[in-house]
Amino acid sequence: MLLRLATSPTADVGATPHGTLSIFPVIGGSFEGERLRGKVLAGGGDWVSGRADNALELDLRVTLETDDGALIYMTFTGLRDDAHQYFRTLPRFETAAPKYAFLNRLLAVGIGEIRADGPVHIIEEIL
Amino acid sequence: MNTRPLMMLRVNVATPQSVGAVPHGARRIAPITGGVFEGPRLRGTVLPGGSADWLLLRADDVLEMDLRVTLRTDDGALISMRSFGMRHGPPDVIAAIARGEAVDPAAYYFRTTPRFQTAHPAYAFLNRLLAVASGDRRAEGPIYTIHELL
Repeated sequence: MLLRLATSPTADVGATPHGTLSIFPVIGGSFEGERLRGKVLAGGGDWVSGRADNALELDLRVTLETDDGALIYMTFTGLRDDAHQYFRTLPRFETAAPKYAFLNRLLAVGIGEIRADGPVHIIEEIL
Repeated sequence: MNTRPLMMLRVNVATPQSVGAVPHGARRIAPITGGVFEGPRLRGTVLPGGSADWLLLRADDVLEMDLRVTLRTDDGALISMRSFGMRHGPPDVIAAIARGEAVDPAAYYFRTTPRFQTAHPAYAFLNRLLAVASGDRRAEGPIYTIHELL
Protein backbone atom coordinates (compact mmCIF):
# COMPACT_ATOMS: atom_id res chain seq x y z
CA MET A 1 0.00 0.00 0.00
CA LEU A 2 0.89 3.66 -0.26
CA LEU A 3 0.83 5.42 3.10
CA ARG A 4 0.80 9.19 3.44
CA LEU A 5 1.38 10.71 6.84
CA ALA A 6 0.55 14.19 8.05
CA THR A 7 2.71 15.33 10.92
CA SER A 8 2.62 18.34 13.20
CA PRO A 9 5.69 20.28 14.37
CA THR A 10 8.39 18.15 15.88
CA ALA A 11 9.04 17.88 19.57
CA ASP A 12 12.81 18.05 19.80
CA VAL A 13 13.77 16.19 22.92
CA GLY A 14 17.43 16.76 22.26
CA ALA A 15 20.56 14.81 23.02
CA THR A 16 19.74 11.66 24.94
CA PRO A 17 22.15 8.83 25.74
CA HIS A 18 21.02 7.06 22.54
CA GLY A 19 21.25 10.02 20.19
CA THR A 20 19.30 13.12 19.27
CA LEU A 21 15.64 12.34 19.77
CA SER A 22 12.91 14.08 17.79
CA ILE A 23 9.26 13.09 18.03
CA PHE A 24 7.08 13.64 14.97
CA PRO A 25 3.42 13.55 16.00
CA VAL A 26 1.17 11.99 13.37
CA ILE A 27 -2.05 13.94 13.04
CA GLY A 28 -3.56 12.17 10.06
CA GLY A 29 -2.97 10.70 6.67
CA SER A 30 -4.26 8.10 4.30
CA PHE A 31 -3.37 4.69 2.95
CA GLU A 32 -4.40 2.82 -0.14
CA GLY A 33 -3.59 -0.58 -1.52
CA GLU A 34 -5.26 -3.46 -3.32
CA ARG A 35 -6.57 -5.05 -0.15
CA LEU A 36 -6.97 -2.12 2.23
CA ARG A 37 -7.54 1.60 2.23
CA GLY A 38 -8.55 4.22 4.70
CA LYS A 39 -7.21 6.96 6.89
CA VAL A 40 -4.57 7.38 9.55
CA LEU A 41 -5.92 8.40 12.92
CA ALA A 42 -4.37 11.19 14.90
CA GLY A 43 -2.43 10.22 17.99
CA GLY A 44 0.48 8.26 16.61
CA GLY A 45 4.01 9.38 16.06
CA ASP A 46 7.47 8.64 14.84
CA TRP A 47 10.27 8.64 17.40
CA VAL A 48 13.37 9.51 15.42
CA SER A 49 16.85 9.13 16.88
CA GLY A 50 19.86 10.68 15.23
CA ARG A 51 22.87 8.42 15.53
CA ALA A 52 26.53 9.29 15.80
CA ASP A 53 27.05 8.21 12.18
CA ASN A 54 24.33 10.68 11.08
CA ALA A 55 21.83 8.00 10.16
CA LEU A 56 18.34 8.26 11.67
CA GLU A 57 16.62 5.39 13.45
CA LEU A 58 12.84 5.54 13.09
CA ASP A 59 10.32 4.05 15.47
CA LEU A 60 6.77 4.69 14.28
CA ARG A 61 3.43 3.78 15.79
CA VAL A 62 0.16 4.70 14.13
CA THR A 63 -3.43 3.53 14.06
CA LEU A 64 -5.03 2.95 10.68
CA GLU A 65 -8.79 2.95 10.16
CA THR A 66 -9.97 1.16 7.05
CA ASP A 67 -12.85 2.48 4.94
CA ASP A 68 -15.01 -0.32 6.38
CA GLY A 69 -14.26 0.59 9.98
CA ALA A 70 -11.50 -1.81 11.06
CA LEU A 71 -8.67 -0.54 13.22
CA ILE A 72 -5.13 -1.67 12.43
CA TYR A 73 -2.18 -0.94 14.69
CA MET A 74 0.90 -0.43 12.58
CA THR A 75 4.47 -0.03 13.74
CA PHE A 76 7.72 0.18 11.94
CA THR A 77 11.36 0.53 12.69
CA GLY A 78 13.36 2.12 9.96
CA LEU A 79 16.59 3.60 8.84
CA ARG A 80 17.01 6.91 7.06
CA ASP A 81 20.47 7.86 5.89
CA ASP A 82 20.29 10.92 3.65
CA ALA A 83 24.02 10.78 2.90
CA HIS A 84 23.41 7.46 1.14
CA GLN A 85 19.87 8.21 -0.14
CA TYR A 86 18.58 5.35 1.96
CA PHE A 87 15.16 5.37 3.61
CA ARG A 88 13.77 1.93 4.31
CA THR A 89 11.38 0.59 6.92
CA LEU A 90 10.12 -2.72 8.31
CA PRO A 91 6.39 -2.38 9.03
CA ARG A 92 4.33 -4.75 11.16
CA PHE A 93 0.63 -4.89 11.73
CA GLU A 94 -1.84 -5.98 14.40
CA THR A 95 -5.57 -6.19 13.98
CA ALA A 96 -8.53 -8.01 15.46
CA ALA A 97 -10.66 -7.66 12.33
CA PRO A 98 -10.99 -11.10 10.65
CA LYS A 99 -11.02 -9.55 7.19
CA TYR A 100 -7.59 -8.07 7.77
CA ALA A 101 -6.10 -10.91 9.85
CA PHE A 102 -3.70 -11.63 6.99
CA LEU A 103 -1.80 -8.56 8.16
CA ASN A 104 -1.02 -10.27 11.47
CA ARG A 105 0.84 -12.99 9.61
CA LEU A 106 3.17 -11.10 7.33
CA LEU A 107 6.33 -9.06 7.41
CA ALA A 108 6.72 -6.05 5.17
CA VAL A 109 9.28 -3.64 3.81
CA GLY A 110 8.81 0.01 2.99
CA ILE A 111 10.48 2.69 0.93
CA GLY A 112 10.13 6.13 2.46
CA GLU A 113 10.24 9.47 0.78
CA ILE A 114 9.90 13.00 2.15
CA ARG A 115 7.65 15.07 -0.07
CA ALA A 116 6.64 18.69 0.29
CA ASP A 117 3.32 17.70 1.88
CA GLY A 118 4.82 15.11 4.22
CA PRO A 119 6.30 11.63 4.32
CA VAL A 120 5.11 8.90 1.97
CA HIS A 121 5.82 5.21 2.41
CA ILE A 122 5.45 2.55 -0.27
CA ILE A 123 4.89 -0.68 1.62
CA GLU A 124 5.22 -4.17 0.20
CA GLU A 125 4.48 -7.49 1.80
CA ILE A 126 7.38 -9.94 2.02
CA LEU A 127 6.06 -12.99 0.19
CA MET B 1 11.93 -3.40 -3.71
CA ASN B 2 15.38 -4.29 -5.01
CA THR B 3 17.65 -6.51 -2.94
CA ARG B 4 21.06 -8.11 -3.23
CA PRO B 5 22.50 -11.14 -1.50
CA LEU B 6 24.13 -10.41 1.84
CA MET B 7 24.88 -13.84 3.22
CA MET B 8 23.76 -17.32 4.02
CA LEU B 9 23.64 -17.99 7.77
CA ARG B 10 23.40 -21.46 9.28
CA VAL B 11 22.87 -21.74 13.00
CA ASN B 12 22.96 -24.83 15.18
CA VAL B 13 20.17 -25.01 17.72
CA ALA B 14 20.36 -26.87 21.04
CA THR B 15 17.35 -28.42 22.74
CA PRO B 16 14.83 -25.61 23.29
CA GLN B 17 13.96 -24.49 26.78
CA SER B 18 10.19 -24.61 27.00
CA VAL B 19 9.08 -21.80 29.27
CA GLY B 20 5.44 -22.61 28.62
CA ALA B 21 2.27 -20.56 28.57
CA VAL B 22 2.98 -16.87 29.06
CA PRO B 23 0.40 -14.11 28.61
CA HIS B 24 1.25 -13.63 24.93
CA GLY B 25 1.47 -17.27 23.90
CA ALA B 26 3.73 -20.28 24.38
CA ARG B 27 7.31 -19.22 24.96
CA ARG B 28 10.33 -21.32 24.21
CA ILE B 29 13.95 -20.38 23.91
CA ALA B 30 16.26 -22.06 21.45
CA PRO B 31 19.92 -21.62 22.45
CA ILE B 32 22.30 -21.35 19.55
CA THR B 33 25.51 -23.27 19.96
CA GLY B 34 27.30 -22.06 16.86
CA GLY B 35 27.07 -21.72 13.14
CA VAL B 36 28.61 -20.23 10.06
CA PHE B 37 27.83 -17.42 7.66
CA GLU B 38 29.13 -16.63 4.22
CA GLY B 39 28.44 -13.95 1.67
CA PRO B 40 30.27 -11.86 -0.93
CA ARG B 41 31.33 -9.25 1.64
CA LEU B 42 31.57 -11.17 4.92
CA ARG B 43 32.06 -14.63 6.30
CA GLY B 44 32.80 -16.23 9.61
CA THR B 45 31.30 -18.08 12.54
CA VAL B 46 28.47 -17.67 15.04
CA LEU B 47 29.52 -17.34 18.67
CA PRO B 48 27.66 -19.56 21.11
CA GLY B 49 27.36 -17.23 24.11
CA GLY B 50 24.35 -14.92 24.11
CA SER B 51 23.06 -16.32 20.87
CA ALA B 52 19.54 -17.71 20.92
CA ASP B 53 16.12 -17.45 19.36
CA TRP B 54 13.31 -16.37 21.68
CA LEU B 55 10.22 -18.00 20.22
CA LEU B 56 6.60 -17.21 20.93
CA LEU B 57 3.81 -19.35 19.54
CA ARG B 58 0.79 -17.08 19.32
CA ALA B 59 -2.86 -18.02 19.66
CA ASP B 60 -3.25 -17.75 15.87
CA ASP B 61 -0.47 -20.36 15.38
CA VAL B 62 2.04 -17.84 14.10
CA LEU B 63 5.46 -18.45 15.60
CA GLU B 64 7.16 -15.15 16.36
CA MET B 65 10.93 -15.32 16.40
CA ASP B 66 13.27 -12.93 18.12
CA LEU B 67 16.79 -13.99 17.22
CA ARG B 68 19.97 -12.53 18.61
CA VAL B 69 23.34 -13.84 17.52
CA THR B 70 26.89 -12.62 17.67
CA LEU B 71 28.86 -13.10 14.48
CA ARG B 72 32.64 -13.15 14.26
CA THR B 73 34.10 -12.51 10.83
CA ASP B 74 37.13 -14.37 9.56
CA ASP B 75 39.16 -11.18 10.13
CA GLY B 76 38.08 -10.86 13.73
CA ALA B 77 35.25 -8.29 13.71
CA LEU B 78 32.26 -8.82 15.98
CA ILE B 79 28.80 -8.14 14.58
CA SER B 80 25.64 -8.20 16.65
CA MET B 81 22.66 -9.37 14.64
CA ARG B 82 19.05 -9.28 15.74
CA SER B 83 16.09 -10.32 13.71
CA PHE B 84 12.38 -10.48 14.19
CA GLY B 85 10.61 -13.13 12.20
CA MET B 86 7.47 -15.13 11.64
CA ARG B 87 6.90 -18.75 10.78
CA HIS B 88 3.59 -20.37 9.97
CA GLY B 89 2.13 -22.87 7.59
CA PRO B 90 -0.24 -25.80 7.14
CA PRO B 91 -0.49 -27.89 10.35
CA ASP B 92 0.93 -31.03 8.70
CA VAL B 93 3.96 -29.11 7.46
CA ILE B 94 4.60 -27.52 10.84
CA ALA B 95 4.23 -30.93 12.48
CA ALA B 96 6.77 -32.42 10.07
CA ILE B 97 9.23 -29.65 10.95
CA ALA B 98 8.68 -30.37 14.64
CA ARG B 99 9.54 -34.02 14.00
CA GLY B 100 12.82 -32.93 12.43
CA GLU B 101 11.88 -33.97 8.92
CA ALA B 102 13.21 -32.21 5.84
CA VAL B 103 10.48 -29.95 4.48
CA ASP B 104 10.43 -27.85 1.33
CA PRO B 105 10.84 -24.27 2.62
CA ALA B 106 8.35 -23.12 -0.03
CA ALA B 107 5.66 -25.07 1.86
CA TYR B 108 5.53 -22.60 4.75
CA TYR B 109 6.15 -18.93 5.57
CA PHE B 110 9.45 -18.29 7.36
CA ARG B 111 10.67 -14.73 6.97
CA THR B 112 12.77 -12.51 9.17
CA THR B 113 14.10 -8.94 9.12
CA PRO B 114 17.70 -8.80 10.37
CA ARG B 115 19.45 -5.71 11.69
CA PHE B 116 23.15 -5.43 12.40
CA GLN B 117 25.43 -3.48 14.70
CA THR B 118 29.19 -3.35 14.52
CA ALA B 119 31.99 -1.04 15.56
CA HIS B 120 34.39 -2.38 12.95
CA PRO B 121 35.00 0.13 10.13
CA ALA B 122 35.25 -2.57 7.46
CA TYR B 123 31.70 -3.67 8.24
CA ALA B 124 30.12 -0.30 9.08
CA PHE B 125 27.94 -0.65 5.97
CA LEU B 126 25.94 -3.18 7.98
CA ASN B 127 24.91 -0.45 10.43
CA ARG B 128 23.23 1.39 7.58
CA LEU B 129 21.09 -1.23 5.95
CA LEU B 130 17.91 -3.18 6.49
CA ALA B 131 17.60 -6.77 5.36
CA VAL B 132 15.11 -9.55 4.81
CA ALA B 133 15.68 -13.25 5.15
CA SER B 134 14.02 -16.46 4.06
CA GLY B 135 14.37 -19.32 6.50
CA ASP B 136 14.67 -23.04 5.93
CA ARG B 137 14.22 -25.02 9.13
CA ARG B 138 16.43 -28.10 9.17
CA ALA B 139 16.71 -30.59 12.00
CA GLU B 140 20.06 -29.16 13.15
CA GLY B 141 18.88 -25.57 12.92
CA PRO B 142 17.65 -22.95 10.49
CA ILE B 143 19.41 -21.73 7.38
CA TYR B 144 18.75 -18.10 6.57
CA THR B 145 19.25 -16.61 3.13
CA ILE B 146 19.69 -12.93 3.87
CA HIS B 147 19.29 -10.13 1.35
CA GLU B 148 20.11 -6.47 1.83
CA LEU B 149 17.30 -4.02 0.99
CA LEU B 150 18.74 -1.69 -1.62
